[in-house]
Amino acid sequence: MIEINNLVKRYGNLVALDHLNLNIHEGEIFGLLGPNGSGKTTAINCMLALLKYDKGTIRIMGEEMRPDNYKIKQQIGIVLQNVAVFDELTVYENIDYFCGLYIKDKTKRRHLVEEAIQFVGLEDYVRVRPKKLSGGLLRRLNIACGIAHKPKLIILDEPTVAVDPQSRNKILEGIQKLNRQGSTIIYTSHYMEEVEQICTRIAIIDHGRSIAVGTKEELKNMIKTGETITIEAIALEQKHLNDIQQLPHIFELSYHEQILTLRCTGAEHNLIRVLNYLQEQHIPFGRVFSELPTLNDVFLEITGKQLRD
Amino acid sequence: MTVYKGYMKILKQNKGLILLYLVIFFSVTMMFQAVAKNDIPGNYQAESVKIGIVDSDGGPLARGLISYLEHFHKVTLLADDTAAMQEKLFYRDIEYIVRIPSDFFDTCMADGQKLSVTKVPGSYTSFYVDQQINSFLNNARTYYAAGFSEEEVSEASQMPSTVEVNLLDTNGTAGATPNFVYYFRYIPYLFLSVLCYVMGNILAAFRRGDLPKRMQASAVSMHRQNTESLLAAATIAIVLWAITIIASLFFYHDTLINHGGFIYFLLNSFMMLLVALTISYLVGLITTNSNMLSGIVNVISLGMCFLCGTFVPLEYMNSGVKTAAQFLPVYWYEKTNDLLAQFGSITGDVRIEVLQGLGIQLVFAVAFVCIAMAISKRKRTI
Repeated sequence: MIEINNLVKRYGNLVALDHLNLNIHEGEIFGLLGPNGSGKTTAINCMLALLKYDKGTIRIMGEEMRPDNYKIKQQIGIVLQNVAVFDELTVYENIDYFCGLYIKDKTKRRHLVEEAIQFVGLEDYVRVRPKKLSGGLLRRLNIACGIAHKPKLIILDEPTVAVDPQSRNKILEGIQKLNRQGSTIIYTSHYMEEVEQICTRIAIIDHGRSIAVGTKEELKNMIKTGETITIEAIALEQKHLNDIQQLPHIFELSYHEQILTLRCTGAEHNLIRVLNYLQEQHIPFGRVFSELPTLNDVFLEITGKQLRD
Repeated sequence: MTVYKGYMKILKQNKGLILLYLVIFFSVTMMFQAVAKNDIPGNYQAESVKIGIVDSDGGPLARGLISYLEHFHKVTLLADDTAAMQEKLFYRDIEYIVRIPSDFFDTCMADGQKLSVTKVPGSYTSFYVDQQINSFLNNARTYYAAGFSEEEVSEASQMPSTVEVNLLDTNGTAGATPNFVYYFRYIPYLFLSVLCYVMGNILAAFRRGDLPKRMQASAVSMHRQNTESLLAAATIAIVLWAITIIASLFFYHDTLINHGGFIYFLLNSFMMLLVALTISYLVGLITTNSNMLSGIVNVISLGMCFLCGTFVPLEYMNSGVKTAAQFLPVYWYEKTNDLLAQFGSITGDVRIEVLQGLGIQLVFAVAFVCIAMAISKRKRTI
């Protein structure tokens, strides 16, 4: 569906996209995950031909994406990071306006607008102007404006920023529904939970480069960490720490403010081995957690920093 | 025509504002028209002064002078009582007193002495009487020098010489300014205010936040978007112009239609419309919110109208202001409007001057378009 090869975009001396490569398949929900300023929005703007880029190629649906390639633009739905609606028009008029940029037939458009209103759950607000809508409802309107014409490809650039949890869930469910209806989705976010929840494939972007691409399982398999064990333990001595470090599969250990954190490679019985050792040594311990790796762990291990740094 | 319809929908939000400006325009025009109408006749009416005459001579020349002054003024013969005369002057029963001495003919004709007069201090009408008495005496002296007797001098100087004045009626309204000229004079204020506000609001709406990006990414080409925007702006402007012209025909019907410069009045207002439209586009490009828009529109519309002769006629302005105003398009509109008001038929040199005025406005419009395009290009993200 989309092929991006060696995409380079510079703003003066700043390299926003540094030889970015992406291959997005039809029918998937593709997540672009990265911290703020990593180049997600720049990549989207280049895909939409809103920005000129210095190097590389972008092909969408087999054709090169250019500012005047309206045949491709016709097939794309856009939900930008900032809400882009007219304050002067009502909810219905806004959706009708943006749908009208793609669909000329009045009857068909009316049907599509009504469907979009229903899809985002704004039936009770059709005559309301955007200024009177809450943040969540406004985001839903923004989405309705982007998807009303039923595009094959929908690009959503951080559509859940500053949205309450209830609206966020509604939006995420809606995106999955759109995907089930046949649309390919590109979803950018710096919320790893959202990306993990809905995306079928994910690209992690940092400093304008794609540092890892795959399904969430594939991404997690790329890293050493298979399990993170956290134990509340009092009075551990250096000797104990050295012993624990020697246990199989443990490759990283930290003990800070009576919290022992162990990073283990993927294997069975890691937790049991550690707890057995503590019991043998008569070391009292409190709460115990065992977590599977998250995308944040993937990001942390690859870049050495947190996703939300 | 989605973009066009979008413009029209946003325009609907401004209909109250347009109506308000139309009401202000019509009210101001009618008010100024009424004031101007009352002012004109007074400027040319002769004043009659209450004159008291103390005739100590009683001779033919003295009677001749009294008769001459009675021709213009209200004359009262007074007794030679200084206290009574002062009282009459104090209470303004009389504004001017002439004392004719007993040997009037000899002293004034032969010796060339002046008549003794007393007048209300600071009265401008007394200068008028001074001139008439001097005129009478100068004529009398001329006749006397030519050998006329006192009776003959008195009789010859009796009737004031009259001059036949032929009014050159260049505008077909006997020198008076036709009412519709005032109407057309205030048009720049209406066009600038309404178009700048309306277009400013619409363009600001289309440039708010990520909307330009959203529009750019849509399936409607930029060329089509621009064409539809232009069409919408032209529709708004032409509807405003049509309302203005239809209203002028309603108010002045035959007087306006039969005026020799009717077509040129329409052309001049149309050029002003183009100028206002291009300025409004420029304003829309540089403003981001309604408060800023309000300030800029007021500065542009009121500033230009005050400097360029819309509210204060150009003839009352000093040359410095007029020189500065020449760099503004409204000046050329008002200059052309004044020229059209002066002449009933537009031919020859007048026509050339009118066409120059129209041409200069067109040049201004083109210049504003070029500036707007340059700003627009600079603001574009790509």
